[in-house]
Amino acid sequence: MKIIDIALNDLLRSFRSAFTIGMAVVAPLMLTGLIYFAFGGLSGGDVSMNAMKVGVVNADALPADSPLDAPIGDNIRAMFFDESVESWIEARDYPDEAAARAAVNAQEIGVAVIVPADLSASLLSDEIDAQVTIISDPTLTIAPAVVQDMVTMMLDGVSGGGIAIQTIMERQQANGIQPDPAQIPGWVTRYTDWYREFQRDLFHRPEKAALVLTAPSAGETESADPIQQMMGLTMAGQMIFFAFFTGAYAMMSILREDEEGTLARLFTTPTERANILAGKFLAVVLTVTLQGIVLMTAGHYAFGIAWGQPASVALAALGQVLAASGLGVLLISFVKTSKQGGPVLGGGLTALGMLGGLFTANIPGGMPAAFQMLANFTPQGWVLKGWKLSLAGAVPADLLLPFAVALALGVAMFAFGAVMFKKRYS
Amino acid sequence: MKILDLAIKDLSQILRDKKVLLFLVAMPIVFTLFMGFAYNAGESGDENADTRLGLAYVDPQPDSRLSQMLFARLEESDALKVIRLEQAEALDSLRRGEVVGVLVIPSGFGEQDAGGTFRQLTLIAESNSSDGQSLYQLLRVPISQLMSAVEIASISADVQGSPAEFAPALELAWAKWDETSRLERVRLERATARVEESWFGDNPYNQASPGILVQFAIMSLVTSAQILVNERKTRTMQRLMTTAMRPWEMVAGHLLAMFGLVFLQTALLVVFAQFVLGVNYLNEPLGTLLVSVAMCLWVAAMGLLIGVLAKSDDQVVLFSLVSMFLFSALGGTWFPLEASGGAFAAIGRLMPSAWAMTGYQNILIRGLDLSAAWLPTTILLAYAFGFFLLALWRFRKMEL
Repeated sequence: MKIIDIALNDLLRSFRSAFTIGMAVVAPLMLTGLIYFAFGGLSGGDVSMNAMKVGVVNADALPADSPLDAPIGDNIRAMFFDESVESWIEARDYPDEAAARAAVNAQEIGVAVIVPADLSASLLSDEIDAQVTIISDPTLTIAPAVVQDMVTMMLDGVSGGGIAIQTIMERQQANGIQPDPAQIPGWVTRYTDWYREFQRDLFHRPEKAALVLTAPSAGETESADPIQQMMGLTMAGQMIFFAFFTGAYAMMSILREDEEGTLARLFTTPTERANILAGKFLAVVLTVTLQGIVLMTAGHYAFGIAWGQPASVALAALGQVLAASGLGVLLISFVKTSKQGGPVLGGGLTALGMLGGLFTANIPGGMPAAFQMLANFTPQGWVLKGWKLSLAGAVPADLLLPFAVALALGVAMFAFGAVMFKKRYS
Repeated sequence: MKILDLAIKDLSQILRDKKVLLFLVAMPIVFTLFMGFAYNAGESGDENADTRLGLAYVDPQPDSRLSQMLFARLEESDALKVIRLEQAEALDSLRRGEVVGVLVIPSGFGEQDAGGTFRQLTLIAESNSSDGQSLYQLLRVPISQLMSAVEIASISADVQGSPAEFAPALELAWAKWDETSRLERVRLERATARVEESWFGDNPYNQASPGILVQFAIMSLVTSAQILVNERKTRTMQRLMTTAMRPWEMVAGHLLAMFGLVFLQTALLVVFAQFVLGVNYLNEPLGTLLVSVAMCLWVAAMGLLIGVLAKSDDQVVLFSLVSMFLFSALGGTWFPLEASGGAFAAIGRLMPSAWAMTGYQNILIRGLDLSAAWLPTTILLAYAFGFFLLALWRFRKMEL
C-alpha cells in the first residue's frame, strides 16, 4: 500500500508540473502538429499546395506552310495559365530568356520554361533538335520536376499525334492504299480524344489509370494514404523519444527529493527503503503509461492515426513503457545530482534516439543499412520496430520479436538500475 | 564599459560549466553530420556501385507481345534493374529491400492487342519514399507510350477495316515511340550565379548545416536565458538595480552576452562546416558574416525576452524548446518549405528563421553575391529590434 501511495504522490507531483506536461505531452503533439500542418493538407487529394511560380518565355512561331492553327509553344504556355492549375501554379510571361533568368535569380519565380522559336518547326519536320529549357532555382526540387513532367507529357501528346499519322499512312502505303489527306483530321481527333482521357485517368482517376501505385502493406487492391502513413511514423517517433525522456525525467524526482532532504526524511519513517524505491519505480511506469495513452488518443483524434490492431498496439505500447522506464531508472542511477541530469537527458537520450532512427523514420528510402543495424543496439530502435509493424497493420504474432527484445532490455536495465539505487541508498 | 563588464560576467558564468559545450558545439556538429548523412543516404558512395532501382516484373503470361515490348523497354533503361519473378517471390524481395517495387502485369494484358478489355498495371512500392515515386515516374512514360501504340494500332486497323492490321501497326508505332523516347526534348538547368568550380550547390550539407545552425542558435538560449532567471532568483538583479547601472544598460549587457555566445557557436559551426564538410560559406565571406550577425542578434533578442518572461529554469527550457520547434519547422530548417502545404509555407516564409535560411542559401546554393545578403539581413535586424523592444517593455514592467 505504501508503494502505491509513494507512486501516486510522485505521479501527482509530475502532472502538477507544467514542465512535465510540456515535455511529456505538449512537445510531441506540437512537433507532430507542425508536421501535420506542413503536409497534412496534401492528403485526400486536397491540393492546398504551395503555389509554384512559373515564368514562361514562348518564342515559338509557326513555320511557313504549317498545317497547324497555332504554334505548339502556345499549348505549352496555355497549360500553365489554364484555370484548372491556377490554384497551384502562378504563371507569368517573360519577353525573353534573359528576363526569365533574372526573375529566377531574384526569386520572383521558381521555374522558367523557355520555348524556342523553332519548336513547332522541328517537331513538324521530325528533326528534333529544338529543346524546351527549364531553368530552376537550385534550392527547389519538386517544382522543376513537376514542370518537366508537364512539358514532357505535352510534347509526348504532340509526338503521339505525329506518330499516329505517320503509322497509319505508312501502313496504308504498305498495303497498297493511297492515304487520303482529308482523313487525317479525323484520325488526329480520335487519337487526341483518347490521349486526353488517358491523361485524365492517369492523374485524376486511379481506378481507370493504366498504372496504379499501391503501398505493399495495403495489399494489392487498396491504396494506403501516404500522408497518414507519414503522420503515424512521425507521431510514433516523437512519442517514443518523449516517452524515454519522461521515464528518465520522472526518475529524477528521487534526485530532487534527495537534494531537498525529503528523501532522507522519508527514510526515517518505518517504511522500508525497498518499498520507497519500488514506489518511485512504479511512479515512472505509471507516468510513461499515462503519457502513452494520452498521446495515442490525441494522435488518433487530432491526426487520424490508425495505430493498428488493438492487441498489436498493446504489445508495442507495453514494450515502450517497459523499455522507457528501464532506461530511465538505469540512466538516473549513474547520475549524482539533478544538475547532471540535464546533459544526460538532453545529450544521451537525443543520441540514442538518433541512433534508434526516431528522427529519420520518414526519410525517403530509409537510412543506410549500417544505420539500421545500429538501431538494433538501442531500446528505442526496437520500440520503433514494434510501432512500425503495428502501424502497418501487422498481427500480434509479428510483433513478438520486437516486444520480447524491448521487454528483455527494459527488465535488464531496470534490474541493473534498481541494484545501483539500492546500493546508493542502503 | 559597464555593459561590457556585465556581458563578460554572463559569458564566464555560462562557459564555466563545461557541459554547456555539449549543447553549444558537440550536439550541433553531431546533428549536422547525421542530417547531412540522412539527406545524402543513397546518393553518395562508390561511383561504380549499381544505383539502378530494382524492379520485380511479375507476368503470368510472359509470352504476350505487349508484355515483351514493355519488358524490353524497361530492361534498356539505365535507371532500372528489372528481374522477372513469381508474385510471392517478388513480394518477398520487396520486403527484404532487394527491389524497390513490384510491377504486376494483369492476366489478359496481352489480349488488348486483340481489342480486349482494359487491364490495369499495378506497381507495388512505398508510395511515401522517393525511390517509390521515382519508380512510378520511370514506369509512367513507357507505359503511356505503349498504350499510345496500342491506340494507334487500333485506329489503323479500323481505318483499313482489318483486325489483322493491328499487329504490324503496333510494331511500327512502337518502333517510332522507341526512336522518339531516345530524344532529349526537355532540358533541365539549375540557375546558379556561379558556374565555376567554386560552386558547391549539390553538397547535401547545404540544407543540413544552415538548418542546424539556426536551430541550435535558438537552443543555446536554454543556457544563456537562464542567467536572467538566476539573477532574479538569487536577487542579484535587485542588487544591481541599486547601483548606478541603468536598466537599459543591464538589458544591453545581457543581450551582448547572449549575442556573444550565439555568435561564437555560429562561428564555430560555420568554420566546421566550411573546412570539414565543404559547405562553402566563404563563397561570400562578408555575406555570411552579415547574415550570421543579424541572425544572432535576433536569437539573442528573443533569448532576452524568454529570460524576462520565464519564472524558473524549467520555463526557460520549455520556452526555448517551443521557440526552437516553431521557428525551425516553420522556417524550413528541417525540410524545404517547397515541400509543405500552401498555408504552412506562406506563414513559414515570414519567419525570421526562413530569412536566415534564405540568406545562407543565397550564398551556398544559389551562389549569389553580397547584394543577395542585404534583404535577409535587414529583415532579421528588424525582427531583432522588435524582440528587443518587447523584452525591454517586459523588463521595465518587471522593474515595477
